[in-house]
Amino acid sequence: MNSLDPRVNRLPEIVETESHKVPLDQFGTFEVFVEPKEGKPFQHEGCVHAPNLEMAYVLAKEAFTRRFTCTSLYVVDTQDVYVSPMTEGDKNAYDSIPEVADDAGDKTSFEIYHLIKRGKQHVHAGSVSAANDLHAMAIAKTTLNTGKTVYNIWAIRNDKIRFTTPEEKDLWITLPEKKFRDASEYKGGVKLKNFLEKTN
Amino acid sequence: MSELALKELLYKMADDQLILGHRNSEWTGMGPLLEEDIAFSSMAQDKIGQSLALYTILHQLGERDPDTVAFTRNASQFHNCQLVELPNAEYDFSLIRHFLYDTAEAIRFEALTRSSYEPLAQLAAKIRGELRYHTLHANTWIKQLGSATPESIERLQKSLAYALPFAVGIFEESPYEKEIIASGIFEGEQKIKEKWLAQIQKILAQTSMYLPDIKIIQPIVGGRMGKHSEHLQPLLDEMSEVFNIDPTAEW
Repeated sequence: MNSLDPRVNRLPEIVETESHKVPLDQFGTFEVFVEPKEGKPFQHEGCVHAPNLEMAYVLAKEAFTRRFTCTSLYVVDTQDVYVSPMTEGDKNAYDSIPEVADDAGDKTSFEIYHLIKRGKQHVHAGSVSAANDLHAMAIAKTTLNTGKTVYNIWAIRNDKIRFTTPEEKDLWITLPEKKFRDASEYKGGVKLKNFLEKTN
Repeated sequence: MSELALKELLYKMADDQLILGHRNSEWTGMGPLLEEDIAFSSMAQDKIGQSLALYTILHQLGERDPDTVAFTRNASQFHNCQLVELPNAEYDFSLIRHFLYDTAEAIRFEALTRSSYEPLAQLAAKIRGELRYHTLHANTWIKQLGSATPESIERLQKSLAYALPFAVGIFEESPYEKEIIASGIFEGEQKIKEKWLAQIQKILAQTSMYLPDIKIIQPIVGGRMGKHSEHLQPLLDEMSEVFNIDPTAEW
C-alpha cells in the first residue's frame, strides 16, 4: 500500500497463512552511563539505538556528551541490565532480594546502580564480585545497602560493558570551549530586546 | 624558512576543514539515524572550529581576519583539495569521504604535534581528542557497513572507487615541499600518504571491501593551486550569503 500518509503505510499487511510474528525493522537499545567529573559516580543518562555495542558507544558519545563536560562514558546492551522489582513509599527494593543466592561458577565483577529518588536517574553505588546477576544483588544487599530507601537496583556484568579506554580519555578535552552548543550562550532575550528597541 | 611556505600549509589545511565542515553540515536534520545526525553534525562543527583556529594563526601572521578570509574569497583563491568540495549525494559517499579524509587529517595533525612551528604544534595537541573521535566514528561505521549486507558493501565499494582518485589528491605536494620539510614544520605529503595508505588498508582488511590498486590510480589534483570542480563556487555562494548581505550581522 503506497500512501503519503505514514499511518496508512503502517497498517499491517493482510496475510493469508499463519506464521511467526516478524520482528520490527529497528535497532535494539543500549543504556548510556556518564561520569560527569573525575571520581564522581557514573550516572544513567538514557539510551541510544544501535546495531551493536561498539556502534552504541560511538553514537552515545555525541548524543549524550556533546554539551556537558564529562570524563568518561560507557554503554551496555539494555538486555544486559538485570533489574530488581520497583518499590514505592518507604519500601526498600533490597527487602525483596534474598540474602543467599546460587553462587556456583566463576566470579566476575558487577556494577550496582541505585534509584534513590523516583523520576531521577540510576546512580552508581559500587561494584561487587559475584557468580551471576541475582548473586550480585544478594552481595550488594549486605555491602552496598545502607538501609536508606532504594526504589530500584540494577546489576550489570562488567564484561558486558563498553568502557572508555584510557587513551580515549582525551575525547572531551575541548568540550569546555564549545559554549556555542549551549542555548543560553546565544542570549536570545537580550538580542530580541535590542532589536525591539532599535525598531521602535 | 619563508613565511610563504608556512602560509601555504596553513591555508590548505584551513580550507579543507572549512569546506568539508560545511559539506558535512548539509546532513544536519537529514542524517540516516537521529543519533548519527547529531554525531555527524557535531563533527562538522568541530571541523569549522578547527578551520577558525587555523585562520586565526594566519591572521596573527598578517592575513585578514578569519570571517573575511572565509567568506570573501572566490573558488580559485581556495586551496582545499577537490575531495572535500564534492556534493554529498548518498550517505555511503559521505561516509567514505569522512573515512578517507579524516584518517589523513588525523595522521597530519599527529605529525604536526612535533612541528617546529609552536602555534601549530599546540593546536595539534589540543584537538587530538576531537580527531580521535572522528576516526573512531569513521572506522566503526566502515567496519559495520563494510561487512553488513551485499547492498551496503557494494554501495561503499562503489563510493570508494569514485572517491579514491580525489582522496589521493589530498597529498598534492606544495611548491615549498622541500623547504617546509627541512624547516621541521611538517614532515611532508609523501610520508603522510604512506601512513594513510597503511591505515585505510588496515581498516578495510576488517571488512568485505577491498582497496583498489593505488598504483594505477590517476590522482585528481589541482585543488591546492586553486583549480576546482564546478561544485565549489555554489558552496561558497551559499556559505557566504548572509555575510554578503550584511558583513556585520551576528548569528
